[in-house]
Amino acid sequence: METLAVALLGFFFVGYVVLGGADLGLGMLLPYLGRNREERHRTVSAIWPLFLANEVWLVAAAGLFIGAFPTLEGEVFSGLMVVFVPLLAGWMIRDAGLWWRAAGSGPAADWLVCGGSWLAAGGWGWLIASLLNDSPTEPTSLGLGAVTTLFVLLLFLAHGLGFAALRLTGTPLARALRLTGRGGRGGRHSLLLTSLVSATLAVLAGARLPLSEHAASDTALTLIVPLSLAALPLLLAAHLWLWRLVSRTGFRLSSL
Amino acid sequence: MESQTVELARWQFALTAGGHFLFVSLTLGLATVLAVLQTRATLRGGQPVHLRMVRFWGRLYVINYAVGIVTGLVMEFQFGMAWSGLGTYAGDVFGSSLALETVLAFFVESTFLALWLLGWGRFNKWVHLGVLWVVTLTAYLSAYWVLVTNGFLNRPAGHARGADGRLVLSDTSAMLTNPNALLAFGHILGGALLTAALFVAGVSAYHLRRGTADEDGLLRRSLRVGVFTALPALLLTVAFGGIQFGEIEEWQPLKAAVFNEDNAEVVRLQAEMVREFGPGNYVPPEALTRGAGLLMLMVFGVLTLAVLVSVVLVSVRRWAVGARRWHLVLMALVPLPFVAMTAGWVFREAGRQPWVVYGLLRTEDAVSHVTAGRMWLSLAVFVPLFAVLTVGNWWVLLRAVRQGPVEPEPERAEPTEPTAAVAY
Repeated sequence: METLAVALLGFFFVGYVVLGGADLGLGMLLPYLGRNREERHRTVSAIWPLFLANEVWLVAAAGLFIGAFPTLEGEVFSGLMVVFVPLLAGWMIRDAGLWWRAAGSGPAADWLVCGGSWLAAGGWGWLIASLLNDSPTEPTSLGLGAVTTLFVLLLFLAHGLGFAALRLTGTPLARALRLTGRGGRGGRHSLLLTSLVSATLAVLAGARLPLSEHAASDTALTLIVPLSLAALPLLLAAHLWLWRLVSRTGFRLSSL
Repeated sequence: MESQTVELARWQFALTAGGHFLFVSLTLGLATVLAVLQTRATLRGGQPVHLRMVRFWGRLYVINYAVGIVTGLVMEFQFGMAWSGLGTYAGDVFGSSLALETVLAFFVESTFLALWLLGWGRFNKWVHLGVLWVVTLTAYLSAYWVLVTNGFLNRPAGHARGADGRLVLSDTSAMLTNPNALLAFGHILGGALLTAALFVAGVSAYHLRRGTADEDGLLRRSLRVGVFTALPALLLTVAFGGIQFGEIEEWQPLKAAVFNEDNAEVVRLQAEMVREFGPGNYVPPEALTRGAGLLMLMVFGVLTLAVLVSVVLVSVRRWAVGARRWHLVLMALVPLPFVAMTAGWVFREAGRQPWVVYGLLRTEDAVSHVTAGRMWLSLAVFVPLFAVLTVGNWWVLLRAVRQGPVEPEPERAEPTEPTAAVAY
């Protein structure tokens, strides 16, 4: 049961880093991809409303962390509080920008999306650095933290670029393809590669946590794990449906 | 533990949860109204006025979603960041309901909300309706799981003490059917529906008063929907609230004594608690608990009167459209359910102090081992952010309200996009 709980947590966390990392990266690339209002608007449209379906993976991962490993969750989250605060703040700013843009607010909201994405991605870099460090419950030292954060930022940028090549059209697409190259089926290979690297990084960082030693009681796991596993096909089916819809019909920012 | 850390962590939690509650209560109620409106639109074979109603209220519903979700994220992380003592001591019990809330409810709700948004004019109308019902029902499910968690903190059930003194889950069904959670669930569903009903009525009244063109009767119909939903919602809220009041004396006797201003009883219960749990102050903050409880009841009184009068007025078409003073009253009512919801929540949560898990774990023992400086940092980041988000989102919402039920400008079609077929 513990192994299954660890696998579930890992699945949702990796899912977030791959999916959420792509839309974070795209948000970070906004000044490069969109050089005028119209282009920025279209670039941001590529995230809406997919980001809703992407961030639920992290919400589910955090929920499973609390439920299946409650003591460890408290140690990690409170120990790394200074890392989580900017991460969450960036996340909130970005989401607010996306919602307001969809509700027809002015172009300033695009910059919330971009700034929030950078802040959140920086938070992720620092978090992953801290997890890879000796003790996963203490923020890492500045030197190692800065190097890892830089790596994660570059990774998310590259990942976002592949995502952009897949989702954008027109001039912003041409700009994305200038960096990914036109080969590899229009950025698909590069997206696959960055997905693999992101997933590996997430697994390596997560593997540092002493999860099985801190699992919740059998009664609690018996409640959480089978229900979550049973729901999994439904969750995946809903996501596949959404992706197919998005890839087939293109996108409009607001049907609001 | 620095005592300031506890105070700061409590402020942060109160402001996060309070901000969250302001938005999710409207979301939850409006989801119900919207699902019913879209069901009617679908059954009626797509009469334009019904569809336009779904679009208008749907737009406001989605805008309101934003802050609820964003503050919800902070809530989830805050348990670990600021209250790790709670997770360490009792996480085995209440963590499972939080986990299932995210996987079974929020995950589905958010994904289907995205599907509903993208599905406009693309899905078959029955599929699109089904998607909205999934969003609505998972929103209810989400509220249920959160209240199972909160119900456990207010009246622990289903737990046992493990070998190391920590609590472990021992009886799943006792936790899931905790009467404290179920009663609060009913009370909040009613309150959320009332919030949404008065929002719908108030916004419609605003436009009728302003003389917004209403050829197909969208506003008049919405006004009726709002007022006629408010009445049963009010009754539901009162019924569940009343039962809860009866149970408080047994579940949290000091809260009841403080609310009733029964000083002799407060002294007696305090002495009893000292005998049972050792020295300490077990009396919840009196002014806050009593004040919040009274405020909730006062608002309830005003709303009952206003809703009863409104039901009469709205039944006569001439009054429904022409009674401009009454429209003003309806507009003034919109904030009241929010006040009552927040006051009721303060009564529930402040009134159980000093306990975080009633009778088992004190709030001061639940806080994380972080310095006051770090807690200040967290507070300094999140509180201004919440304030900006709340004000910003209300501004966006009010702008959409003022715009009224006009069709939004069609977006320039993307080169890849096929012309959207209208499914209705």
